[in-house]
Amino acid sequence: MKLAWLRTQDGAHGDSVWTTTWVPGNEESPALLLTGSLDETVKLWNPEDLSLIRTNSGHCLGVVSVAAHPSGRIAASASIDSFVRVFDVQSNNTIATLEASPSEVWQLKFNPQGTVLAVAGGGSASVKLWNTSEWKLVGTLSIPRPEGVKHSEKSGTKKFVLSVAWSPDGRQLACGSMDGTISVFDVARSKFLHHLEGHCMPVRSLVYSPIDSRVLVSASDDGHVNMYDVEGKTLFVSMSGHSSWVLSVDVSPDGAAIATGSSDKTVRLWDPKMRAAVQSMTNHTDQVWGVMFRPPGGPGVRTVQLASVSDDKSISLYEYS
Amino acid sequence: MLNILQALYLWEHSKEINSIKEKAAEHFVISAKLDPHNPNAFRYLGDYYSQVSLDSTRALKCYQRALSLLPNDSYIGESICDLLDKEGKESLEIAVCREASEKSPRAFWAFRRLGYLQVYQKKYSEAVQNLQHAIRGYPTSADLWEALGLAYQQLGMLTAAIKSYGRAIELEDSRVFALIESGNIFLMLGSFSKGVEQFQDALRISPQNVAAHYGLASGLLSLSKECINSGAFKWGSSLLEEASETAMASTTLTGNISSLWKLHGDIQLTYAKSYSWMDEKQGLQDDELAFTNSILTWQKTCFSAAVLASRSYQRALHLAPWQANIYIDIGIAVDAMCSLKEKEINNLYALQLPEKMTLGGLFLEGYNDEFWVALGCLSLDAALKQHALIRSLQLDVSLASAWAYLGKLYKKEGDKRLAQEAFDRARSIDPSLALPWAGMSADSYTREIKVDEAYECCLRAVQIMPIADYQIGLANLALLSGNLTSSQVFGAVRQALQRAPHYPESYNLNGLVYEARHEYLTASVFYRLARCAICASEKGSNSRLRDISVNLSRSLCKAGNAVDAIVECENLKKEGLLDSKGLQIYAFSLWQLGKNELVLSAVRTLASSVLSLEKTSVPGCISFICRLLYYISGKESAIKSIMKMPKDLFQSSKVSFVLSAIHALDQRNQLDSVVSSSRCFVVSPAEITGMHILIALGKLVKHGSENCLAIQNGVNHLRKTLHMYPNSGLIRNLLIYLLLCNREWNSIHLATRCLVVCDSDYQKEEDFRSPIEILGAAAVACYSGGNHSDKLSLPTCRGQCLSGHEAIQRLQKWLRQEPWNKSARYLLILNYLQKAREQRFPRHLCILLERLTSVALSDQFHSKRDQYQKFHYHIGWIGLKYMESQYKLQSVSPGIELNFEECSKEIRYSWHMWMAVFDMVKGLIAISSQDYLQAEEFLSQSCSFASDESCLFLCHGAICIELAKLQCDSHFLSLALKSLKKAKGTSPAPLPFVSLLLAQVEGSFGSETKWENNLQLEWFEILFPVN
Repeated sequence: MKLAWLRTQDGAHGDSVWTTTWVPGNEESPALLLTGSLDETVKLWNPEDLSLIRTNSGHCLGVVSVAAHPSGRIAASASIDSFVRVFDVQSNNTIATLEASPSEVWQLKFNPQGTVLAVAGGGSASVKLWNTSEWKLVGTLSIPRPEGVKHSEKSGTKKFVLSVAWSPDGRQLACGSMDGTISVFDVARSKFLHHLEGHCMPVRSLVYSPIDSRVLVSASDDGHVNMYDVEGKTLFVSMSGHSSWVLSVDVSPDGAAIATGSSDKTVRLWDPKMRAAVQSMTNHTDQVWGVMFRPPGGPGVRTVQLASVSDDKSISLYEYS
Repeated sequence: MLNILQALYLWEHSKEINSIKEKAAEHFVISAKLDPHNPNAFRYLGDYYSQVSLDSTRALKCYQRALSLLPNDSYIGESICDLLDKEGKESLEIAVCREASEKSPRAFWAFRRLGYLQVYQKKYSEAVQNLQHAIRGYPTSADLWEALGLAYQQLGMLTAAIKSYGRAIELEDSRVFALIESGNIFLMLGSFSKGVEQFQDALRISPQNVAAHYGLASGLLSLSKECINSGAFKWGSSLLEEASETAMASTTLTGNISSLWKLHGDIQLTYAKSYSWMDEKQGLQDDELAFTNSILTWQKTCFSAAVLASRSYQRALHLAPWQANIYIDIGIAVDAMCSLKEKEINNLYALQLPEKMTLGGLFLEGYNDEFWVALGCLSLDAALKQHALIRSLQLDVSLASAWAYLGKLYKKEGDKRLAQEAFDRARSIDPSLALPWAGMSADSYTREIKVDEAYECCLRAVQIMPIADYQIGLANLALLSGNLTSSQVFGAVRQALQRAPHYPESYNLNGLVYEARHEYLTASVFYRLARCAICASEKGSNSRLRDISVNLSRSLCKAGNAVDAIVECENLKKEGLLDSKGLQIYAFSLWQLGKNELVLSAVRTLASSVLSLEKTSVPGCISFICRLLYYISGKESAIKSIMKMPKDLFQSSKVSFVLSAIHALDQRNQLDSVVSSSRCFVVSPAEITGMHILIALGKLVKHGSENCLAIQNGVNHLRKTLHMYPNSGLIRNLLIYLLLCNREWNSIHLATRCLVVCDSDYQKEEDFRSPIEILGAAAVACYSGGNHSDKLSLPTCRGQCLSGHEAIQRLQKWLRQEPWNKSARYLLILNYLQKAREQRFPRHLCILLERLTSVALSDQFHSKRDQYQKFHYHIGWIGLKYMESQYKLQSVSPGIELNFEECSKEIRYSWHMWMAVFDMVKGLIAISSQDYLQAEEFLSQSCSFASDESCLFLCHGAICIELAKLQCDSHFLSLALKSLKKAKGTSPAPLPFVSLLLAQVEGSFGSETKWENNLQLEWFEILFPVN
């Protein structure tokens, strides 16, 4: 279990790169890397040599999240002004623009089936679900207000939803909030299931293990990477090692390793069995906002790659083995 | 006792060997049993249990026993507390300390410990008491002072906190915490520069400290805001640059602190809003491209700062998206970007972005009234604006800024009454807000307030907040209310230029202000720049361009550059934009160049357009035409033209003055009826007195002969007028002036009596003569007048005895007020000279005179400007020379003669006279040194220079007689005869001594009859005149 640095594209964007995702490969094209940045652009990269394929403009403020449809044909990007642009990856034609109230769009994720786009709803303390056929709002998963607390106007900020994750089977959805709680929903019944506690600071990233729907991995500003048993509502592993906020987390396709990016400018690889970091990459010179493993599949790829993006305006690729 | 000594020995020498310590402990136990009142045994036992056998319960017991015996012992107390602390028994710890502190006021350790614990538990008011007490025991403990400072700070006693922190820093200058906290307090108290110092000190000690970086940057930001609010944009910008560097340095240390990025955003936004255009680059008016470029560069700098601000805010938001205020900040930054690049942003969505971001903030904190105000400002939709502002007022009815913006909104919508109401409310809630004042001055029409009042309101707005819009408004109001020369307006328009260099009006107003200050060349430079700015903005209407061109040609004309002025006018003429004002300037410039034909044709065009003009500009136009006609074609033809003009054009005081002036010069009184009909439009008191003066002067001219003015007529008229307007200083002064001018010299004492000198007013009135000057002149006139009328050689005027001393005092005051004023100094010298004469030249007065004269001379030596001054210059040198020899004073400058000859080369008119006088003085000096031959030489030279000056001949004659007597030489006698005869012949009035001397000469030649005749002449003409 190790990471090997492959290449870095310095100055990939004009300003901090804030988000990244892999566009899965399909019959027409191999997997591509999509990044979004404070410089208001979304860029598409060829992972072979990190060459720029296209620059998408159209946002008026920094891009906070990008997400790719499992088919690899559609992608979405969201900027700080809560403007979501859904576009065709090949042609960059705009398919839809989803406008929400400002402060109510953060992380975007398509469900594994590709039928729903989940949007972490920020100040609305909910996750909004948009169907991908008509681009209509089909559901809102609201975090229930804590009992005893009346409808006060401040509660919205406490449950500010930053991150969202789909379970591999697409039945469950988890979202992370500013106060460190994680809320789990049953999507089909649009029902809130329960909270997962353990973090005391904002949860900026969370992901289900690709091999087990019970396991949820989360990253938080408190510097910890937590692993939860979602069904059992328990925290079973909490790993520390980053000296600052953990901004992004992803689980390797084989489910054996966890990668994180942090404000301490490192990318770390964790072995959940050893409950410790096994490797720390220090090639970035500023905080690392996004890490993501390349999903399996697509032609001509034998190894697993990891991409990381950072405030230092660069993108790095590593080989995971 | 022995036991304990033994034990101590063992304990001290045991080092780390526990077996020996155990032995020692046994001895301690024994001694404790033997002497239960010995605290030492218990103390060491406590040490043993805590350190060696690690039995904390026993250790505690022993220590407690020891402490109860020795409550002041800090070692024991601290040991107990450390033990308790280790076990987490905080309340027990406090109880122990409290007990000890109650038992003995000298248990300072207990107070200290208690104080620290209470600070930790946030019981600050109790902590303060204990810490204060502890400080009595440990006055040099920096920790204690620091803790006390913290307690005070938390209690809100900021000054006390600063003092405590200061003491801690004094004791140990590496106290970073104290430095940072006191810096924070200074910032809170508003003494930013002190705060900045503290943070800089902290950074010197700990260069990686983020809190110190943050404090320094925010201190610099506040400091720069202070500068910017007072109008010192450049200073503010340089501070902001420093602040931005500091903030960036701290973000590289830790990039994930949202507030740091927000601070950086604030700094950049302030920079974008305060970065000033450099207007020092001269020569921009010639190079339109360079000018446009310099403005573009300025805009680019502002824009990129706004972009940086927006990016930094976005980073802050990305780190903490739940912070509602950052949404507003992004909205404001984007708005600033849009306002700087209006042309390029045509995407409607980008324009709506500020509104949307503000809504984002409101979604999170809908109860925040200031967010609603921000929405009211940033929204594009008027209805939403109004809703937002009213919503904010519902949340807080006394929010002055909301009222102010509501007023602005209503004003824009055209609802003047509501606007006025809103502004009034805002002003009454918070008079230190600039916008309501500006609003008040802007709708002066509906409020029916005077221009002056509007100007005052706008001035207040500008003083509160130096915003270019207000400053331009102020200058416009100053133009209307005639305050353009005020230095407040000057400062305001200069500042407006720094912040609005792309706005043509700011240059135009700068030009107007400079023109009002009589700096025409600078003014014309600004007008040219204004034209460049209009061309650069590409939407300048023709009328703006015309106004500025007219301004430009006017200032060029005033600067004496008629050629360029004509070029400007002709350009306007080509485009058909030359209006009546332009035409006037055109005609005037042509007249200055002497192109009379063209002038007349221009005047004709002007005259034909008069009827179509606005009523207010007709009188100016008419009087201009009349004056030009007079200057070009002379009095008669001007009068003829005036007679031809329709009478209703003369219905104005302005025209009446011009007509009266022409009428005054006209002996034939052709304009009598016209003038008298127009005079009924002269109404204001100032104009009426002015008209009377004009009439009086007219009488002087009309009734006088060719070479002599009829002063008495003028005096008579003025007397009557003064009777009607006794307060008019102008008339009084002219009257006195005329009295002094009177050749008959008989009313000088009257003159001084008429004079009313008021200390305060003689600077304000721009008279042709100030009263004090007239007073001084009158005093001098008294002297010379008296000399003339009296037959005695050195009389004083009877009438001025009283005023002589007073005059000198007044003149001194005047000189003190206007040390540069040459005539003041001159009059003072003359007055002193007279005084010296009266008192027969006492030595101290001579010294005084010499000093004054030499000062006056050295002044004039540096500024040889006009003939008038040179006049003083010569007489000064001569007088100096004379006095120097006469009174054997120390020589001021050895080269008096050289100097004189030097400057005498520049004399054009009366060179001979001057040379004669100088020779005479040299002769007199020779006489006083009894070198008569030399004296004779000088005097005869002097006579040859001025052949019609009788006095010189008299002198020469006298010295020749003296020489003849001394050397018994008849040659000198004949010379004397010749000179004396000449003296007698040339003198208009009989001279004293001439006949006497002549008699003496004739007598020497032996002619008895002539001797007798001459003696008789002397007797009757000089000593006992017939009348």
